[in-house]
Amino acid sequence: MRALITGLMLAVLALPAGALAATQGERVKIKGEIIDTWCYFSGVMGGPDSVVGSAHHTCALWCAAGGIPVGVLAEDGTVYMVLKYEGDDHVTGGDTILEVQSDLISADGLLYQRDGINYLVVEKVTANDGLVNLSHEDYDVIPPFAIPKPKQ
Amino acid sequence: MRRIALAAAVALIAASGNALAEGEDEGPFSEGSQAKNWNLLGQEKARFEAKVVDVFCEVAGDCPENCGDGCRQLGLLRSSDGVLVLANKNVQPAFTGANLDLLPYCNQEVEVDGLLVGLPEYTPAKMYQVQLIRRKGEAEWSKTNRWTKEWAEANPEAAKAKGPWFRKDPRINALIERDGYLGLGLEKDEAFKKYLFEE
Repeated sequence: MRALITGLMLAVLALPAGALAATQGERVKIKGEIIDTWCYFSGVMGGPDSVVGSAHHTCALWCAAGGIPVGVLAEDGTVYMVLKYEGDDHVTGGDTILEVQSDLISADGLLYQRDGINYLVVEKVTANDGLVNLSHEDYDVIPPFAIPKPKQ
Repeated sequence: MRRIALAAAVALIAASGNALAEGEDEGPFSEGSQAKNWNLLGQEKARFEAKVVDVFCEVAGDCPENCGDGCRQLGLLRSSDGVLVLANKNVQPAFTGANLDLLPYCNQEVEVDGLLVGLPEYTPAKMYQVQLIRRKGEAEWSKTNRWTKEWAEANPEAAKAKGPWFRKDPRINALIERDGYLGLGLEKDEAFKKYLFEE
């Protein structure tokens, strides 16, 4: 019996730290826009409304390819950090996550909340409405150099 | 309308830049910080000890080798309070995240220096820009500027051209060629460029 308990203790100690702290995800349905979270939260380019949608699409491509965390901005303003997207965990610049920048998606997923941040595993995208936030009508492009000036 | 909105956005950038007086970006983890000011919303200098972790592993228990080998977002499990801090950005002003700079320290104890960023109106927890990192007990800090070097190694042909990586990246350029800079198709892009550069 003592050997069994010792064995179990050793097995637990051998687990990665994350496996011990991990929780069960909550099943959720989320609808929102795929965004670049650095520009959205930091204000480095301007207010939050200016760094989403078409005005910021090119910058969103740059940031997603650069490995900046991608989020889903829901209609109520909640941002969900994407940890996996339809089975692909290459969320730091992978092809799948790059392809859907600025799109409005509806998805079934698993939500994990930790220390004030919502983390989302997107299990299945049930609808992708494409890029529907025409923010360039209000903000042109952010940053202004996103579209290079044509050579004369 | 768009000019007013644009002016408002620019004003916000300017306001955030002017808002930080000496000591105004101090927070509970600012002691000893050498972090550079980026004039960001809710910015606080923050230097702390932590363990570098794979965020997905930490929250969901899905733990591949080597923190996902650069595919996953990495975080900092702060030693003093056990809080998982999401590492959102490295020090390079080049649209680059922190994962490649943290990866060599996967599951190791480190000390980091940088900026906690974000306003409570938008995020209950601040994100972290890692500017400097060193293993616990090491004397020398390393700047978190690996990303563009790794990109150049992975894209040797593209790297030969002039200009920053994000203008040369083949995948980004292919998407822009297909969908335009606005992501709305080439026809709308052309019309917008006429407005932007000719009107």
